[in-house]
Amino acid sequence: MNYPLDPYWVVALKALLVVIGLLTAFAFMTLIERRLLARFQIRLGPNRVGPSGLLQPVADAIKSIFKEDLVVEKADRVLFVLAPLIGVVFALLAFGAIPFGPPGSFFGYQPWVLNLDLGLLYLFAVSEMAIYGIFLAGWASGSKYSLLGSLRSSASLISYELGLGIALLAPVLLVGSLNLQDIVNWQKENGWLFLYAFPAFLVYAIAALAEAARTPFDLPEAEQELVGGYHTEYSSIKWALFQMTEYIHFITASALIPTLFLGGWTMPFLEVPYLWMFLKIAFFLFLFIWIRATWFRLRYDQLLRFGWGFLFPVALVWFLITALVVALGLPRSYLLYLSALSFLVLLAGLFYSPKPVRKGGGA
Amino acid sequence: MSPLEALALLFLLGTGVLVVTLRNAIHAALALIANFLVLAGLYVALDARFLGFIQIIVYAGAIVVLFLFVIMLLFAAQGEVGFDPLVRSKPLALLLALGVAGVLLSGLWGLRLAFTQNLEGGLPQALGPLLYGDWLLVLLAVGFLLMAATVVAVALVQPTRPLDALRPEERKEEKEVVR
Repeated sequence: MNYPLDPYWVVALKALLVVIGLLTAFAFMTLIERRLLARFQIRLGPNRVGPSGLLQPVADAIKSIFKEDLVVEKADRVLFVLAPLIGVVFALLAFGAIPFGPPGSFFGYQPWVLNLDLGLLYLFAVSEMAIYGIFLAGWASGSKYSLLGSLRSSASLISYELGLGIALLAPVLLVGSLNLQDIVNWQKENGWLFLYAFPAFLVYAIAALAEAARTPFDLPEAEQELVGGYHTEYSSIKWALFQMTEYIHFITASALIPTLFLGGWTMPFLEVPYLWMFLKIAFFLFLFIWIRATWFRLRYDQLLRFGWGFLFPVALVWFLITALVVALGLPRSYLLYLSALSFLVLLAGLFYSPKPVRKGGGA
Repeated sequence: MSPLEALALLFLLGTGVLVVTLRNAIHAALALIANFLVLAGLYVALDARFLGFIQIIVYAGAIVVLFLFVIMLLFAAQGEVGFDPLVRSKPLALLLALGVAGVLLSGLWGLRLAFTQNLEGGLPQALGPLLYGDWLLVLLAVGFLLMAATVVAVALVQPTRPLDALRPEERKEEKEVVR
């Protein structure tokens, strides 16, 4: 329960490292995503700047900084500038709470920036405040498309936040702590949490995808309907800041899913502090890009119905089951069997689901 | 009073005044968020950490987003909100505010805060047994009150005619669309 504390200068240094690391990761994620999407779609992707396109992010950065920065006439000037900054700041804040190794593995200091007893609540608070960046951008632009985009995104973010929160209650009940280090250590001793709470893991992964506004859920910026969504009126570096916010949310989500459900930095064999965490993050980043390449965008009402009508009840039922097991003092292995059963149900559902029927007979 | 406490008080009062005085409803809502954030920081500084985070998640997060929704959907964010729904209500409002302040102060008068329980810095592990054990009835009563308010709000906005019942002129259009 008690973890060693670092001197302040080390904490400041680590915070700086996390920010620089995230910004670099953002720059190269744009390249990796474009290259991977190109590969999925059997084309080449950006490959002209530097060896196999490696310097493309630098070129993009220079371009977006030196482009003309427009502020539309109808915009609320202060909020128009403030909105991307709010978005980026709250996106950057979340990552510091994630542990990357056992205590003392960062040159004798701790491999995390923040160690809060209420770590999960902190993550929630930060991710809720991050909504305001999108919301204010849409309103301050003074444009219909932007406003519609921001209304859509905040409605979907609020609905998925509920499923997300309740999905997390089951592991919290099992571990008995909101501290991320405690959660990882519990998984080291008792086995990874997705074995105990497979439905919660599934709901959390889907809701995290929606929170990061990735493709099946990227309605706030549906090009065919809304021009560019909440950042329609933004150009040059402010637009780049929104891209940055989105990618940082994406990276944070891919780091949180393994931390909460897949054992974090631990591994049953070959314990190396940083390696497994980075591998798990890379796996989820790849998985989400894969989903983006193959999936279609949901319609708005389908999105909300899925959030409220499926994810929310599933998370709630699993929470009740976990609560029963914990409250009645039943052996935890019941949960293992139940979540294996739920996995089988999911597989059977996928296997026996009817093929999509094309209505109207059109091509 | 330490300088930090004074600063927090100043921020709280300043943002509170801004909420009431700003002309644009969206700006006022933003000032409200700032106010809630300062308040959350104050809770954390007073070792009520759980309460502090809940203040951010529930109030600064969810509830103000709902406020902003309503403001945007009603187009209430124009510079001037237009008319004064209650004419010459300002003196009454002042009187009411003073009265509420008086009630709150009289409640604080003679209140002695003696902690008999160790709350471990307001962690949920310590708060849970209290909320769902000793004060369960109070919690249920508050929940019941909130539910009653919701039911009343829904009952008040019940439309007199069903929403899907069309007026005669609309019915004609409907037919054309179907054809």
